[in-house]
Amino acid sequence: MRKSLLETVLDPERLSVRFQPIFHIHGAVTQIHSLEALIRGPRGTNFERADILFDYVRRKKAETAVDRSCFTAICGAAAHLPARFRINVNVHAATLGQTPGFVDFFRNQAEKHSLALDRFTVEIVEHAPTCNILGLIHSITGLRDSGVRIALDDVGLGQSNYRMMLDCHPEYFKLDAYFVQGLNADSNRRAVVESLLTLAEAMESSVVAEGVESKEDVSRLARMGVEFVQANILCAAMPLEDLRATGLLGGDTAASASVTGIAGPQNVEGFERDRQKLLVSAAKQLSH
Amino acid sequence: MRERILIIDDDEHLMKAYKDYLSRRGYQVDCAQELEEAQTLLDHFPYAVVITDLRLSKLGFGGLDVVKHIRELPLQTRIIVLTGYGWPELEAEALAHRVDAFIRKPARLTDLAETVGLLTGAEA
Repeated sequence: MRKSLLETVLDPERLSVRFQPIFHIHGAVTQIHSLEALIRGPRGTNFERADILFDYVRRKKAETAVDRSCFTAICGAAAHLPARFRINVNVHAATLGQTPGFVDFFRNQAEKHSLALDRFTVEIVEHAPTCNILGLIHSITGLRDSGVRIALDDVGLGQSNYRMMLDCHPEYFKLDAYFVQGLNADSNRRAVVESLLTLAEAMESSVVAEGVESKEDVSRLARMGVEFVQANILCAAMPLEDLRATGLLGGDTAASASVTGIAGPQNVEGFERDRQKLLVSAAKQLSH
Repeated sequence: MRERILIIDDDEHLMKAYKDYLSRRGYQVDCAQELEEAQTLLDHFPYAVVITDLRLSKLGFGGLDVVKHIRELPLQTRIIVLTGYGWPELEAEALAHRVDAFIRKPARLTDLAETVGLLTGAEA
């Protein structure tokens, strides 16, 4: 009898990890702030796509078990990253809310792979309408006490609402791509982003814009004061070896993986370069 | 690539035989052995035809659960139900959910391919 799909997904060896840089764009220098670890399902199956994989996982109500499997796979891959890079990982709110042991599991896995806990940002993903808020807050406190930062994912959509902002008090608001794409030409979208920027500032949080698709939108976001962007036009999610090959990670020294003249609000013309030029430029910066 | 087909059956060997046969005829064939797996695939891919057994006793759900899910989707998916003898009530319920064809088990591969061909407007 073949393994069930869930059994397969619960085997970290069957998952693959890709990393996508989150860039700091505030100011004249753009640099990698952190790398979001993104999971792909069993290779060669329909469930390799993350949206399909996690749709299935939520139907099976197996978020907690799969979050553990994913984090195990991520730690295995992240152990090969230069130690100066922060790592973002997605965890379901249900896992944090209903599984008191998850924080200990998180600590143990990181320790097993010699990954300092203060390198991690946990991105809370919430798809279910109800969640054990007390359990969630308890887990967040445990993570924070270990040096882990908290991000609220998909802000503006679904369950990532004002209550979650208050309950989680995240260090980062990750704006869903829906509010970001086409924002340069859409005053309504800009109004939403402005309001979230104001809210984030009042809560001493930072804003990350996800899914940016055009250089005009990146430039506009920078001028509006958004500090961080995650964008395929800058760098898509890719396996670690491919990311290394771009040169964006630099060597394993303590040199800053920074790219000057790319996206600062005073230097928006930097985005006129195409992506390849950007990566070559970054590689050159890092090699010197 | 011709149309996409989803097969749901609790007999792994039979399902593989259907898949191999239909794949050789140019269809893109997926298989599922869990209700949630089938529902997820149905929500993400526009299947032209779904072939499901009505009784999936080993899997803990019934083919009718799949049929009902398909009919909640805004798609014109055609449904072929594999049935045994002596299931009149199940068949009646399936018919009420606009099943397109019934094939008695054990289904001959040629019959299955011919029915798929008729429903998709292609030659088997």
